[in-house]
Amino acid sequence: MAQTVTKVAARTEGLRKMYGVGDASVEALRGITLEFEAGGFTAIMGPSGSGKSTLLHCLAGLDTPTEGHVFIGDVDITELSERQLTQLRRDKIGFIFQAYNLIPTLTAEENITLPLDIAGRDVDPDWFDEVVDTTGLRDRLSHKPTELSGGQQQRVAGARALVSRPEIVFADEPTGNLDSRSSDELLTFLRGAVTDHGQTIVMVTHDARAASFADRAVFLGDGRVVDEMQAPTAERILDRLKSLEV
Amino acid sequence: MLRATVKSLLARKLRLVLTALAIVLGVGFTAGTFVLTDTALKSFDDLFGQAYAKTDVVVQAHQAFNPTEGGGGGGGGGQELNPIPERLLPLVRAVPGVRFSEGSVQSFAQIIDPTTGKVIQSGGAPTIGSSWSPDLSPFTLEPGGAAPVGPHEVVVDAGTGTGHGLSVGQQIRVVTPSGPGEYTISGFVRFGSSNSLLGASFAIFDLPTAQRLFHRDGTFDFIYVQGDGSSTPDQLAARIAGVLPHGFDAITGTTAASQQQDQVNQGLGFLRTGLLVFGFVALFVGAFIIFNTFNIVVTQRTRELALFRALGATRRQVMTSVLVEAAVVGLVASVIGVLVGIVLAIGLKALVAAVGLKLPPEALVIAPRTVIVSLVLGTTITVAAAVSPSRRASRVAPIEALRESAAPSSSIRRRVIVGTLVTVLGVGSLAAGLFGGVSNAGYLVGLGAALTFVGVAMLSPLVARPIASMLGRPFRRRVSGKLGGENANRNPRRTASTAAALMIGLGLVTFVAVFAASLKSSVTAVLDQTLRSDLMLTASQFSPFSPQLAKGLSSSPDFSAVSPLRQGAEAKVGSSTTFPVAIDPATITDVAKIEMDAGSITGLSEPNTVAVSRTEADGKHLAVGGTLQMQFARTGSQTLTVVGIFEPNALLNDYAISLDTYDTNVAQQLDSTVFLKYAPGVDQATARANLETLVARDYPSVEVNDQAQTKQAYVKQVDQFFAIVYVLLILSVFISAFGIVNTLGLSIYERIRELGLLRAVGMSRRQVKRMIRVEAVIIAVLGALLGLVVGILFGWAMQRALSSVGIDRLAIPFVQLFFMLIVAALIGLLAAIWPARRAAKLNVLEAISYE
Repeated sequence: MAQTVTKVAARTEGLRKMYGVGDASVEALRGITLEFEAGGFTAIMGPSGSGKSTLLHCLAGLDTPTEGHVFIGDVDITELSERQLTQLRRDKIGFIFQAYNLIPTLTAEENITLPLDIAGRDVDPDWFDEVVDTTGLRDRLSHKPTELSGGQQQRVAGARALVSRPEIVFADEPTGNLDSRSSDELLTFLRGAVTDHGQTIVMVTHDARAASFADRAVFLGDGRVVDEMQAPTAERILDRLKSLEV
Repeated sequence: MLRATVKSLLARKLRLVLTALAIVLGVGFTAGTFVLTDTALKSFDDLFGQAYAKTDVVVQAHQAFNPTEGGGGGGGGGQELNPIPERLLPLVRAVPGVRFSEGSVQSFAQIIDPTTGKVIQSGGAPTIGSSWSPDLSPFTLEPGGAAPVGPHEVVVDAGTGTGHGLSVGQQIRVVTPSGPGEYTISGFVRFGSSNSLLGASFAIFDLPTAQRLFHRDGTFDFIYVQGDGSSTPDQLAARIAGVLPHGFDAITGTTAASQQQDQVNQGLGFLRTGLLVFGFVALFVGAFIIFNTFNIVVTQRTRELALFRALGATRRQVMTSVLVEAAVVGLVASVIGVLVGIVLAIGLKALVAAVGLKLPPEALVIAPRTVIVSLVLGTTITVAAAVSPSRRASRVAPIEALRESAAPSSSIRRRVIVGTLVTVLGVGSLAAGLFGGVSNAGYLVGLGAALTFVGVAMLSPLVARPIASMLGRPFRRRVSGKLGGENANRNPRRTASTAAALMIGLGLVTFVAVFAASLKSSVTAVLDQTLRSDLMLTASQFSPFSPQLAKGLSSSPDFSAVSPLRQGAEAKVGSSTTFPVAIDPATITDVAKIEMDAGSITGLSEPNTVAVSRTEADGKHLAVGGTLQMQFARTGSQTLTVVGIFEPNALLNDYAISLDTYDTNVAQQLDSTVFLKYAPGVDQATARANLETLVARDYPSVEVNDQAQTKQAYVKQVDQFFAIVYVLLILSVFISAFGIVNTLGLSIYERIRELGLLRAVGMSRRQVKRMIRVEAVIIAVLGALLGLVVGILFGWAMQRALSSVGIDRLAIPFVQLFFMLIVAALIGLLAAIWPARRAAKLNVLEAISYE
């Protein structure tokens, strides 16, 4: 079986998303076609209302597009049933949200292994150790989320997203609630996952500094892709954003 | 502030419905009980009014006191009255102003269904025999029938006639105090507008026949008088009393009706109290749910309440807003409850009918008292349950509008202190009620039980965490089970108070189960230890039967001992009511082993003697050779000499007298039990077969049982009774299931973001449902375990309190209780259905971004 290894981890084709009906309807995505390379770190940027969160939700199978297709690997997820989507999220996708990432009743370790526990899969101890050590959470594993700082909580969420070796990790404003030091720690960790382990990450953010950790920045405006930038720096991004907002 | 309250109420309609349901059911049951008993009273009022419609004055023997129920036992009819000599009738007739006057006799008469050969009796309703009154009868003959004439004719009530396919001219068997006989039906009667009298069966003979059959030769039980209208009933009664010798009274028909009404009132009073207890238990459980719901809601609304405070609302205003919300919920629920109660009354009527009290199909009586009491009770309980949550709400500081933290909760130490205090108080009043020998013991026991439940509920958060962890262990292998277990543990107070509601219902079920098992075990043990008889004759439904049976058997060569036992007549010693047992002192020791502390049981062969149980003798300071005063309804106070003190046993009550003494003082001369011992050398199988043939032919209501069957029959009777109790307790268990639904629903609402996260990282709907189910099962089983502990303690206390009356063994039905735990788990599963479905249906995206 000569199966070619796709270099694309996820892609969209003519993605449209409408909310509401008739006159009251709002078009959040107006035809987006994008590819996300395997092993790449992409930042999706844009002003509020540009559709970046909607795009992420559609990519992750949390929201269903009105039109168009989303592929994770070779699978068109717009064709999947709710049960298959759940399974896809469990096995192939990792998530980091802005807040409320953790289950308060579980320890840090249990939170990290949650997706594997849900799937009933065994934890790869070597990989687990590596993830834990890179996040620097070794001595915090038995703590409950309320006993962790905001930065530590987000790193636990990051570790959780990586521990099941998903094909792609989606991060939705992961640094939105963090101070700059904690942000840097988390972003360095994500950067490392891409560089050292070839993890694919797609991150929505409005923070130029956060986006500068990515390989590529995609700019959305009014539901469309308006620009792209390879190896972005914070300054270049800020300039670009200014021109978009005018 | 009021508008904000109402708005917040309307915004949470579903929660409102669930919370209110707990009160609706409790109020409904209470209102239903009132409606049922009021309706029954009205029915009886009408019936007695009709019974004396034509009678202005009744002549009867003087009674020392009014027995609670007409002469005891289900055989019925026999008033505890001295007979009236026939010679008084002409004296009464000669009194000026008398138009009609006739004598009447009453006793029992069992009509045999010609197709089944069994006695016609619905439930425990009486089987009444009576003489026909040509002029003053409350009965009216149906067309096509005639009054009974001569020794071979009988008239039967139309209800029995149509119910069992009887027709005029048909031959039927009727068993009377003189034994069985064949009679021809000459007609059917109705009673006023209804064709049956509360399910009782009537066999009516002409006066001479009735007098002979009922052993009333030359005497009457009553003389009924109708005036000619020239004087009022009171004047007529006074005039008639003037011609009567000492020991006989003339009372007006109205007085006679109200006397009988009083007896019924007492009986219905017991029924009402008994049913109300279950209604109150349901309301009590409901109070827990209200308390719990309001507590959770206050926690969830902390920020909203803090905002009110920040905007200038005073503590009092915040507290009032919560209380107003409770009052509105309570009032609305109570109004619905009253409506539900009216529907429920119809159901209760059917339940009561199953026990034998058939009420005429009359309109339900809805007294203003029913409505007022129900509304006040439901609203008060709801508001009272919300007081503590409202105080907590008032303590929310304005700053918390800006914080993420939960509402402040009172310190656990204070809770432990108060909880311990309440528990001690509860156990104390329980003990005082059970062992203190005080009056109003029932109230003390009820209050003690309620306080104990509250105290244990307050203390239960202490044990909730370890027990819930233990219960959660088997589920931990899967992540859904583990999360469910952790959720049950997350807020031990919430879990504990939700479980507490179930604890009450299941605690009472456990109590009843332990008590019933102890009762059965004690009595069967006593039967084993005490009974030496081979066979026992008893009648179904505890109804006594004709002494002719024992008389006939005593001459049979098959049996060496035939020993009848009578019970049922009420007597009083001092102010306390007792039911003395009458035995044959000559034969009792052949059929039973009675352990004597002092004196002997055979001493009862002397007239006017009594044997007393050791506990009663100790309590009343009685000794052999001393005397006591026993008051009988028919003969008044009698001086009895104590001839023996016996160890308490289940056969003899507190007082044993001889059959002769019983016959002298009690009008109803029927046997409750006959003990038989085979004669030596007799073929027992043949002897029993012959006996059964005889009994089946002549005494169809009587059952022949050997020792094992007696035990079985007894156990069955106990089980039947307690089955009804269980049915009534299910209501409160049902309500507490709603409590679980409510708590889970509210918890899900709280954890909506968390659920969203779990779904986002790949938890399937099925896993979410399982998680909620595990939490529910843990809460339910925790409640059951607490209930088990409290219930067993209650059962043990009750058994100790009643050990002096023969319940001297504690039996804990482990299998049954284990089964109850499983049922509790099922209740949890059932209660989880709706919350689990709701949690599984959550839109992941909305849940994640839920604020």
